[in-house]
Amino acid sequence: MHKIRGTALAAVMASLTLLTAGCGQGLLGSDDAGSGENKDEPIILGMLIPQSGSEAAIGPYMSNAAQMAVDEINEKGGVLGRKLELKTADDACDPQTAAAGANKLVTEGIAVSVGGYCSGATLPTLPIFNKAGIPMVIPVANSQELVDQKLKNVFLINGTGGQQAEAAAAWMTKDGAAKAALMHDNTSYSKDLALRTQKLLDEPGGPETAILEAVTPKESDYSANINNVLAKKPDYVYWTGYFQEAGLLARQFRQAGYEGKILVGDGSVSPKLIEIAGAEAADGVYATMTQTPETLQGAESWIANYKQKFGSDPGPYSNQSYDAVRLAAEAITKAGGTDGEKVIAALEAIDGFSMFSGPLKFTPEHTLSTGGFQILVVKDGKFVLQDPLQ
Amino acid sequence: MTQLVWNGLFVGSFYALVALGYSMVYGIMKLLNFAHGDLYMLGAFTGFAVLGAAGGVSVTMALPLLLLVLVLTMGTTGLAGVLLERVAYRRLRGAPRLSLLITAVGASFALEYGMRAAAGADPRVYPVRLGGTSLEVLGARVTLQQLALVGVAVVLMVGLNLLVTRSREGRAMRAVALDPRAAALMGIDVDAVIARTFFLGSALAGAAGVMAGAHYGKIDFMMGFLIGLKAFTAAVIGGIGNIPGTMLGGLLLGLLESFGTFWLGGEWRDVFAFGVLILFLTVRPTGLLGERVTERV
Repeated sequence: MHKIRGTALAAVMASLTLLTAGCGQGLLGSDDAGSGENKDEPIILGMLIPQSGSEAAIGPYMSNAAQMAVDEINEKGGVLGRKLELKTADDACDPQTAAAGANKLVTEGIAVSVGGYCSGATLPTLPIFNKAGIPMVIPVANSQELVDQKLKNVFLINGTGGQQAEAAAAWMTKDGAAKAALMHDNTSYSKDLALRTQKLLDEPGGPETAILEAVTPKESDYSANINNVLAKKPDYVYWTGYFQEAGLLARQFRQAGYEGKILVGDGSVSPKLIEIAGAEAADGVYATMTQTPETLQGAESWIANYKQKFGSDPGPYSNQSYDAVRLAAEAITKAGGTDGEKVIAALEAIDGFSMFSGPLKFTPEHTLSTGGFQILVVKDGKFVLQDPLQ
Repeated sequence: MTQLVWNGLFVGSFYALVALGYSMVYGIMKLLNFAHGDLYMLGAFTGFAVLGAAGGVSVTMALPLLLLVLVLTMGTTGLAGVLLERVAYRRLRGAPRLSLLITAVGASFALEYGMRAAAGADPRVYPVRLGGTSLEVLGARVTLQQLALVGVAVVLMVGLNLLVTRSREGRAMRAVALDPRAAALMGIDVDAVIARTFFLGSALAGAAGVMAGAHYGKIDFMMGFLIGLKAFTAAVIGGIGNIPGTMLGGLLLGLLESFGTFWLGGEWRDVFAFGVLILFLTVRPTGLLGERVTERV
């Protein structure tokens, strides 16, 4: 009797130990690389991108480029002898979908998150990844709000809103603007950029702010807003929202007889802008933008590789997504494993890692030390480099 | 000032076209057809498909071609409206009004995401565009194409009004609106009248969709959502169920938005427009021209 009870107790104890071990595996599934576990298991990178919704066109540009980086690294033997694997999830540029997608990626045991396009949708994923101890290398989303969360697992490799505002103000000053109208769509990223630009314009020198105008996104007729803006007689209009409204605004501004210049933010850089506005109205539209494949120096072979692999040209943010994967791989290598804390420390320690945007070193806020924004212009139906603003 | 008025009237004529369908359906079967805005979207996409099938057309032919596309699209969206009523609403005749309302919301989502599945989430751009050679009229910039669009809208609305007030079919519609049971007793085929109403309302929404596509260029699967809400607002302002009232409501909402933006700034435009909706719902729920209906048992 006594003996049997002893055995039962032992069995219970054993299963308890197993259970806790199992839990540990589940919760911290990624940190066992350092403790020399199964080398056959791939290291999984997760990527949240818009695959549906209004920004769905961007998704493939990002995931293709990321996959290309993964394949290249795997051809060279992978990371720490393990293969890399990319898992994508749809954020639909929508906060709720993004949160669900982030939770899905966490349960799939990703080591590092390398996604994030729409700032509004990326924001709610920050605490999810933070709680799971997963470092984030965000390739595109760049609202100041992401920085303001002050989470130590979050790294931004795209220029921030503040840096873009500086580029916009610098360009308008350089181009001799006198009165600039700032227009946004009331979303966090767009409004932030417009307000930051306004702050810069308030300083002496350069153009002054003619008007700060908010529009409702997803409408067709902006004549009322345009009427408001034109009443203030600006010679520059800076639109900080996304490309659909940018196309409509450019067209309707020209129809309303506006003859000044139009500048748009990086969310508007898309061939769709030109299609919606029509070639005539889009011609000469300027944009503040980080490097795109077309404006990169010495990226011809990279572009050719991409084209050969996917049968189409790389697009906006392909290069940033490619770099995000390479950076994540580098950090895991330096950390000697996928332990979140160690990878974060490795990312913080990185100095001079070569990326398309130049040698990388993070600021204490985990942002780029220089934004790398440049000015593009629409010429012959395409965005081309106007001024690198160096 | 004249520019503000013209902008308001132009946008307002779109609101009025869409609002008419809302209003007629409500007048006849007391249903708020929330899928109505999506018939506008369906019209825009139908026009896009027809234009695509027509292939490359020279710019000089643009206006007559668009008129032809307009007629074809009106027929198609009209039939789609009839189908929608047959599938989603007819079986619920006599069911509590809440069930109908929820079904309407469901139908709206089905149309939106069905279109997304069929045509993709990316916005499309019309192959034929109404450009803009603008002229000054009393200090406002007006394009000939805008005038043509407003002209088409006016013709459609006047036609509808004649149809409802002068024809046998119109008399049947008014009879059903007044009292469906009595109308049925008088030998009116109520189902047929309701189907006809859906056809007319949907055809007008489809026409507005094609016109928006040709004028603004960009169409996407969610384009009907916001205009659906605006059309509802317009119908309430003018008097839901009342046809001239609804037209007036549409134009008035356009003007309210135009002047609201001017007075209060762009970020307050929708607050202003929907604030007016709330005001009307609380102070004068029958709208400007709606008659006070005595409670029927």
